Amino acid sequence: MCHPTSPFPFRLSRSNLTTMTTPDTLTLNSWQVIAATDEIPVGSITRTTLLDTPLALTRDRDGVPVVWRCTDEEPGDEIDPETILDRLPVTTGYGFVWTSLGTPPKELFSITEYAEPDRVNMSCGSIGIHVSAPRAVENFLDMGHFPYVHTDILGAEPHTEVKEYDVEVSEERDEVLATRCRFFQPRAALSATDGMEVEYVYRVPHPYCSVLYKSSPEAPERRDVIAIFLQPVSEDRCRAHLLQSMIDSTSTITELRRFQQTIFGQDKPILENQYPKRLPLDPRSETPIRADKSAIAYRRWLSQKGVTYGVIPAAG
Amino acid sequence: MITLYDFELSGNCYKLRLLMSILRLRYDIIPVDFFPGRQHKSDWFLKLNPFGQLPVLKDDDLVLSDSGAILAYLAKKYDETGQWFPNDPAITAEILRWHAIADDITSTASAARLALGFDYDFDVPKAQAGAHRIFRLMDEHLWFGEREGRDWLCTPPHPTTADIACFPYVMLSEEGGIGRQDYPALRRWSDRVRRIPGFTIMSGIFPAGRALEQA
Amino acid sequence: MTLSLSDSTWYPIASSDDLPFRHVYQGQLLGRELAVWRADDGNVNVWENRCLHRGVRLSIGINEGGELKCQYHGWRYANRSAGCTYIPAHPADAPARRIQNRTYPVREAFGLVWSAANDDQAFQPFPGAETGDWFPLRPIPVNAAPEDVLAGLIGLAPDDQPADILPGLAVRLGHAHYFVQPVDSGRAVIRGVLAGQPEDAIAILRHYNETLTKLRDRLERAARKKPAPAPLEPAFEKVSVDLATMPDIAIPRGNTTTVVVKRKWTSADGVIGFELAPREGHLPTFQPGAHIDLHLPNGLIRQYSITNGPGDLLSYIIGVKAESASKGGSKILVESVREGDLLSISEPRNNFPLRRDAVRTVLIAGGIGITPLLSMARFLDKSRLPYELHYFTRVGEQVAFRADLESLHGKVILHTGLARTEIGQTISQALGEWSHAQHVYVCGPSAMLESVRVTAATQGWPEESIHFEYFKNDKVIDDSSTFEVELARSAMTLQIPAGKTIMEVMREAGLSVPSSCEQGACGTCLTGVIEGECDHQDVYLNDSEKRANTAILTCVSRAKSARLVLDI
Repeated sequence: MCHPTSPFPFRLSRSNLTTMTTPDTLTLNSWQVIAATDEIPVGSITRTTLLDTPLALTRDRDGVPVVWRCTDEEPGDEIDPETILDRLPVTTGYGFVWTSLGTPPKELFSITEYAEPDRVNMSCGSIGIHVSAPRAVENFLDMGHFPYVHTDILGAEPHTEVKEYDVEVSEERDEVLATRCRFFQPRAALSATDGMEVEYVYRVPHPYCSVLYKSSPEAPERRDVIAIFLQPVSEDRCRAHLLQSMIDSTSTITELRRFQQTIFGQDKPILENQYPKRLPLDPRSETPIRADKSAIAYRRWLSQKGVTYGVIPAAG
Repeated sequence: MITLYDFELSGNCYKLRLLMSILRLRYDIIPVDFFPGRQHKSDWFLKLNPFGQLPVLKDDDLVLSDSGAILAYLAKKYDETGQWFPNDPAITAEILRWHAIADDITSTASAARLALGFDYDFDVPKAQAGAHRIFRLMDEHLWFGEREGRDWLCTPPHPTTADIACFPYVMLSEEGGIGRQDYPALRRWSDRVRRIPGFTIMSGIFPAGRALEQA
Repeated sequence: MTLSLSDSTWYPIASSDDLPFRHVYQGQLLGRELAVWRADDGNVNVWENRCLHRGVRLSIGINEGGELKCQYHGWRYANRSAGCTYIPAHPADAPARRIQNRTYPVREAFGLVWSAANDDQAFQPFPGAETGDWFPLRPIPVNAAPEDVLAGLIGLAPDDQPADILPGLAVRLGHAHYFVQPVDSGRAVIRGVLAGQPEDAIAILRHYNETLTKLRDRLERAARKKPAPAPLEPAFEKVSVDLATMPDIAIPRGNTTTVVVKRKWTSADGVIGFELAPREGHLPTFQPGAHIDLHLPNGLIRQYSITNGPGDLLSYIIGVKAESASKGGSKILVESVREGDLLSISEPRNNFPLRRDAVRTVLIAGGIGITPLLSMARFLDKSRLPYELHYFTRVGEQVAFRADLESLHGKVILHTGLARTEIGQTISQALGEWSHAQHVYVCGPSAMLESVRVTAATQGWPEESIHFEYFKNDKVIDDSSTFEVELARSAMTLQIPAGKTIMEVMREAGLSVPSSCEQGACGTCLTGVIEGECDHQDVYLNDSEKRANTAILTCVSRAKSARLVLDI
């Protein structure tokens, strides 16, 4: 179904246009995720938007992704990738295609576990959300909402406490790291008085990406990895690309995807009801509590790096 | 034995989970990877439903599709109270009318949600405008219902499958960029649906607070 | 006419019928989104539609009757004040800082709920409003500029009966008054009222609905042909500087409020109830377990627990024990203070916070100790959390607040006239063996506190699950140490000799130091510590706060180190 009047999956509203800015240098020169590699058609066009810029993408016969700035291409059009000369840089990593509108670094941040041979690696779909990418990262780092948003799955009232945890900004790796993050999760029913405390580690290795590690029920000495890669579509819209890298020999991919989509589907209405949609970096714009230590560190890190796209920079 | 071929984020599948929860029916779920796997267009699924649409429900050897039809089936077969899909001809017609409106909500509000959230190539402004047109009429219908002592979409003094059929994509409309601020009676009705005994949530829909009896 | 964000006109923003029991209505005025909700006491709250914590709309939250609960992290905000009463991520902490959502003025009248962007104008009924009974029509939202909507309404008037244009985007057409609610620059709601109650209400409502729907369709068709006006862009106010970081312990401020003794009554044998009301508006937010300092006519200051339930801010109700042996404090209250008298109270302070993350909460009260526990029971009751309240009195006539206790839905057990050994057994049974997420709160005579403490400990209750409040410090103060105190902000160094408190020496040096109980129980003199090791001798700070070594009560506590640097 093609509609010449609405080439984008949504129409840019007036307020989108007024807030549209040139991305900061760091954002422009970073790798940004745009699609799950397997979901890009071979020999025909699909479209997406990155940093307010429409992009077209396809894969050649060898399955190698090709990305370029879109002009009048329509999704579904057949194309011979050989004819595309003015290409954007492309790399693939963790099952996804990454591109850049500037000059990206040689390598993407690392998730070493992904390469372990016995892991089940999968994308869990790319879901559009009407909120900025940094708001979605912050939600991913947050534990306090488990009982209220992921009720009976990741938490349940009355077990609401966020215990003290550690946060550091690793200078060597230039990333935010939160460790010893513990949360009480009910084992079965709400009435059960015993449950178990799970321990998470969170990394923010990229302004719009976060990685979560939790001990695997199947191999307690190893950790399951769940990552969220946000594609900044515009200042107040993003697409969440979800990755799972699991030690799990029993569940099917469909079951594992379903679990992750259930969780993310619960966060979506919260994120879309958040105002302002861009993440405010001024400490006085919202009210942090001790449980928000990782979010405070993340906001400060974005400020220091000079990220301005998708955020409301602190004045002065 | 009932088996539901189900996708968690589908409002149409949720209609059946919701009614079965209210009727306290036991059922198995076979997850279908609608997104991103597009399993509803796979050969095995098309054998169940050649139209390639979720949900599909199997009751022993009987295979059914279309959420509105299955709601009617479940209510007729398993609702001992006879309230969810009453036998009265006039009320049956009333309920089917709303089942049809539920499909219109799917083709507007749900289409906008699929476009914005799941990358479907639909005309978003058109879908949004269509949903607003339906919501306005629903709000008016429910507002006058409140004045006339009717809490639900149809005439009986209790909810019917009409309420179940319309509820999910009304509640998920914000994901399609369709706010409900202008529809206060619709918002109150959605509180009432969420307080039906046996109510269950889906991803994207939060429960309403308890309405305690006023002490 | 252009709309202004600072327009102080009162506009209707909802119908009274839009706010049924336990609902949250989503509204908007002059570009600002509103969360509107009616508490169980009937009060209508009009708040900015945004939780101060992470900016989530409160209209997707839950109306709990006396508090509104945010959907994202479960923060609770009190009816009337919009003050935050509970942060579930830190259940053991009282949200000590004044986290308060932005509220807008509100008035419910003529079947409508009215509000304004600010407090600059007093509410004024429309001409003739007070004379009659009003019947609200179905409100009609219109996607058109408010001034165009007003013009459209004026155009409905027949030639021989011109419209009567009223102030504030309003117009009278025959029997109908119409108010245009300016939602945003391109959106409005037509809110109409009719004088009197019509006989065939439904037919009348349908008639007006049809007329206004047709007008709406015409207005929207015209609006689509014009360029859409730029939406208003209200800014979100910044939170205060002290909210941008979260200190562990709050240093209380010395603010006081004047209250009127609205009611004084005998609640039970030996217990006098006092209802203290503000001269206007409502009292500050409090949390369950909180107390106020009451400044008595004879200059004494005494602490009393607030017994109220959630969002109950029109007056505080306290219970005072009429002791024959009492000196000065409760005696003057009981004997001399009368209804209509003015008293001064501090802001509520909470040294006895209630966790709402327990699977089982046991409340144990002895005598007048019922007061904070009644408040706790009311909060747990509203949220339908499980609790048991055990209330010990010598005789049945001493049961205070009996009617209030009877209206609770939880397990309330009165124990009267038990012998000391029986009390011990009853406490032991009430506590039972401890398991995860069980908490006990106790308030009463020292012997009872001690009994609960010992019994709980022997039955496996960890220290952090036993909560109690001292009204007085029974500990023997050891004032034998000598040390030096440096006052960082006053640039002064003082020598504290044995036998004198830090507070006394500071006062001798000419500093004014706020205080109240002067026995380490009330927290009024709490002062920040910058350097040095404290010798805490108070009963106000809890163990972790004492270990933190960041604050000290100068009325009793001293230094273990030779030098202490205070933030004063």
